[in-house]
Amino acid sequence: MPSPARSRFALLSVAVLAVLLTFGLAALVDPPAADAQKKILNIAAKEPESLDPHSSILGQSQAIFRFMYRGLTRFAIKDGKVTTAEVEPDLAESWTLSPDGTVWTFKLKKGVQFHKGFGEMTAEDVKFSFERQIKRLPGTRFGVNLGVIKAIEVVDPHTVQIALKAFDPIFLLRMVGYQQGYIISKKAADKHGDQFKWNPVGTGPFYFERHSPREKIVMRAFDKYHGGRPQIDEVHWYDVPEDATKLIGLEKGTFDLLYPEAVTADVADQVKKMGAVLDRRGPGGQERFYINMTKPPFDDIRVRRAFMHAIDRKAIKETMYPGDLARVAPSCVPPGYFGHVPMTFPEYSPEKARKLLAEAGHPNGFTIKNYFISKSFFYPKVLTLAQEQLKKVGINVELQVVEHATFHENIRKNLDPFVLYGGTRITDADPWLSLFFDSKEIPDPATGNKGTNFAHYRAIDDLLVAGRVERDVKKRAAIYAEAQKRIERDLVCLPISDVPGTWARNPKRVSTPFDPNYGEFALHYSYNYPEMLKIIH
Amino acid sequence: MFRYVARRLLVAVPMLLGAMSIVFFAMRILPGDPCLAMMGDQATTEALADCTQNLGLHRPLAVQYVDYLWRSVQFDFGKSFRQGYPVSEYIARMFPHTLVLVLSSAVVAALVGIPIGIVSALKRRNPLIDYPLRLIALLGLSMPVFWLGILLLIVFSLRLDIFPLIGGGDLDGVIYMLKTGEVFTSPGDFLAMVGDVLHHLALPALALGFTLAATVSRLSRSAMLEVISQDYIRTARAKGQGERAVIYKHAFRNMMVPLLTIIGLFVAIALTGTVLTETVFTRPGLGKMLVDAIGARDYPLAQGAITVFTMIIIVVNLVVDMLYAVVDPRITYR
Repeated sequence: MPSPARSRFALLSVAVLAVLLTFGLAALVDPPAADAQKKILNIAAKEPESLDPHSSILGQSQAIFRFMYRGLTRFAIKDGKVTTAEVEPDLAESWTLSPDGTVWTFKLKKGVQFHKGFGEMTAEDVKFSFERQIKRLPGTRFGVNLGVIKAIEVVDPHTVQIALKAFDPIFLLRMVGYQQGYIISKKAADKHGDQFKWNPVGTGPFYFERHSPREKIVMRAFDKYHGGRPQIDEVHWYDVPEDATKLIGLEKGTFDLLYPEAVTADVADQVKKMGAVLDRRGPGGQERFYINMTKPPFDDIRVRRAFMHAIDRKAIKETMYPGDLARVAPSCVPPGYFGHVPMTFPEYSPEKARKLLAEAGHPNGFTIKNYFISKSFFYPKVLTLAQEQLKKVGINVELQVVEHATFHENIRKNLDPFVLYGGTRITDADPWLSLFFDSKEIPDPATGNKGTNFAHYRAIDDLLVAGRVERDVKKRAAIYAEAQKRIERDLVCLPISDVPGTWARNPKRVSTPFDPNYGEFALHYSYNYPEMLKIIH
Repeated sequence: MFRYVARRLLVAVPMLLGAMSIVFFAMRILPGDPCLAMMGDQATTEALADCTQNLGLHRPLAVQYVDYLWRSVQFDFGKSFRQGYPVSEYIARMFPHTLVLVLSSAVVAALVGIPIGIVSALKRRNPLIDYPLRLIALLGLSMPVFWLGILLLIVFSLRLDIFPLIGGGDLDGVIYMLKTGEVFTSPGDFLAMVGDVLHHLALPALALGFTLAATVSRLSRSAMLEVISQDYIRTARAKGQGERAVIYKHAFRNMMVPLLTIIGLFVAIALTGTVLTETVFTRPGLGKMLVDAIGARDYPLAQGAITVFTMIIIVVNLVVDMLYAVVDPRITYR
C-alpha cells in the first residue's frame, strides 16, 4: 500500500499533467468548419459606447455606425473618389427646395428595408429620427445640428417636407449619413426604448448580430440592403485598446483592418514592414492653438505675434507625423471644408519673437505657471515640442499633465492662456467657425458657458450671420475668406497639422476601390462605403 | 461557529459601506466631468447641461450619495453612464471571465509556487537546488505581469502561433449550455467551447499565475521553515520516522494554516493582477472594465466593480478563516 506522502505526490503530478494537457489539447482545437467558409472581416478598434447613431461622438462609435446606418444623402463618389464637398441621393431619391429657400421636400426611395424585419423605411421614420434629436431625448447628442428645423411634415409614406426657420446653406450636408443624418427605425426605437443603443436597427449594409461586452461586436451582411448585399458575410469588431496588440494581430492575420489610436512614425513603419497599407482619408482632424486675446500678456498683439514666430510648425509636424503622415495646416479652416482659403502666419523666427517680446515689455520673457495639458492623444507630445520652442525665446511654460476630462474642464475655466485643440466637424466653414470664433461660444465659468471659442474672439460675428443667409455659393465663399483674413489679422489661431483619418489594412485580405492616399474623404472615422470592401481569398 | 460567521457578516456590513462610500467620494473628487469625458471636444454648453441632467449629476452630492446607498441595498447599482447597460447585468457578464482567470492562475501559482517553496526550504543547505529555485522566485517577483504577458504573446501567439492573441473564448456560450442543459444534448459542441475557452485562458493564466507563484513560493518557503524548526518535527525525526513522512504527514498540514492566510491575500493580489492581465491579453473581465470605467468617469460602473471586488475579498477571507478550523482542529470559533 502506498504511503500517504507518496500518493499526495502522485496526485500533485497528475494535477500538473492534467493542467498542461488541458491547455495543450485546447491549442489543437480548430474553429468550427462553417466559420472557415464565411467571409469574415476582422477589425481591431476600441469598443463603441453605443450603437445608437445619434448618441455618441467617439471615433470608434462613429466608425461602426456607417456599417449599420444610412442617411437621406451621402458624400458623392466622383471620378473614383469620395468627396466631402458634394452630396448625392442615398435613402432619398430626389429633393426640391421652395423658392424662399426654407422648405425642403424629399422623395424617399421605395422598398428600402430596415434590418431584422422592421419593415420598409417611410417618411415617419425620417420625421422620428430628426425629431428625437431636436427634442433632445436623453442620450442624443446632435440636436444642435438640426436646430435650424422648424417643422417636419409627412406628406405621404414616401414624401417628407422639412420646413426651416431660415435658409440654411448646408442643409444637404446635415442630411448626409453622418451623426444627426442617420435614419433609424421608429418601430425599433419605440420597442427597445433606451436599450435601442444595443438593439440597433438601421438600413445599412450590415445588421447587428450580437455584442459581447469588452470583447467584440458581430455584424452580418444585410440581404435586403438597398444597394445590394455586401460581399463580406460577417464583420467582427474586436475591442482592442492597445495599438501594440492591434499591430501584432495585423501581422499574425488575426485582424484585417485596424483603427489605431495614434498613427506615429513607428506605427507607420511597422505597418509597411509587414506589407500592410495605411488608408489615409481627409479632411481628418486639425491640431491648432487658440490664443486667448483677453488674457495678459496675450492681450497684446505683439506677444501673440511673438508666440507665432516662436513656434516652428513644420518641425512639430515632422516630429509628430513625418513625411506624408500629415500636412502642415495651411489655414484655421481645414482643406476639404467649404470656404477654406490658405492663410499666412508669422514665419518661424526666434529672433523676431524675442524682439517683439522686448518691445512689448518682456525683455526677459515670462513664465506661464500651471499650464494644463491632457495626457491623452497628441496633446502632451505637441505641447512638449512647443514648450521647448517657446523656451528658446524666453517663454517658460510649466506643464501640468492631467487626465483628458480634467483638461477639458480646465480649458473651459479659461485656466490656459493658449489652448491646444483638435477635432473634425461638418465639412463647411459655417459650423467650424461658429464653434471656435462666434462670441456666443466664449467659455465663461461665471455663466456656465462651456463653449469652445478659446481665443475669446468677437470680430467675425457679423460675417457668420451673413454667411448663414447667403444663397449664392460664390458670395458665401467670399464671406468665409474674409473671416479667415480677419483671424489672420488678429493672430488668434495658429494651425499646426492636418492629420488624415488613418486605418491600417492587410491588402492581401481586404480590398477597397479607393486610392489609399486620400482617395476617400470621410467624416465617419472609417470607410464611407464599407459595403465596397471585399475579402480576397 | 454559526455565531462566529454571523458576527463576521455583521462586521462586513460597515466594511462594505465604508468601501462603497470611499469609492463614491473618490470618483467625485477625481477631476474630470463624466459628460465632458464622453463628449470630448464636441461638447456644447447645451449638450453638457442635457447630459448632466440625464445622468442625475445636477443633484446635490448628498442626495446622490443617499440615492446610491439606498439603491445599492436593493442591489440596483444603476446603469453604466457610457453604455447604458444595467451595472449588475454588466458585472454578471464580466464576472465569469475574471473568475476563471483568477482560479486558473491560482492553480498555476499553487502548482508552481508551493512545491518550489517547500523544496527550497528543505534543500536550503544545498545551494545547487536552493539558489536556482530562489532565482525563479525572484524573477517572478521582479517581472511585471504586463511584460511577461507581452513576451508570452510574442513567442506563443505571434511566432509559434499556438495560442490566440486576444479574447476570452465563448464563455457566455459555455454558461448558456450549462444553464439550459444543452450540455447533455450536444456534449461535443460543449467540449469544443470549453476547449476554446481554455485555449484563450492558457497564456493569461500562465502570466498571472507565474508572477503570483513567486509570492506563493516565498511565503510557503518561510512557512515551511518555521514549521520544520518546531519541536514536534524534531521529535518525529527522533522517533525514527522517514523524512518524507515527517514532511508530508507532520509539516505539510501545519504549514497549511499560514498558507491559507496567503490564499486570502492571494485573491486580493490576483484581483489586482487581473486589471493588467486582462488589458494586455485584451480579455473581457472586471479588471479591464474597472480601468475603462475609471478613465471614462463612469461612476456607476466603477462603483459597482469596486463593490464586487470588496465583497469577494470579504467573503474569501471569511471562508479562509473558517477553513483554519478544518485544517487545524485546535482552532475553534466562538
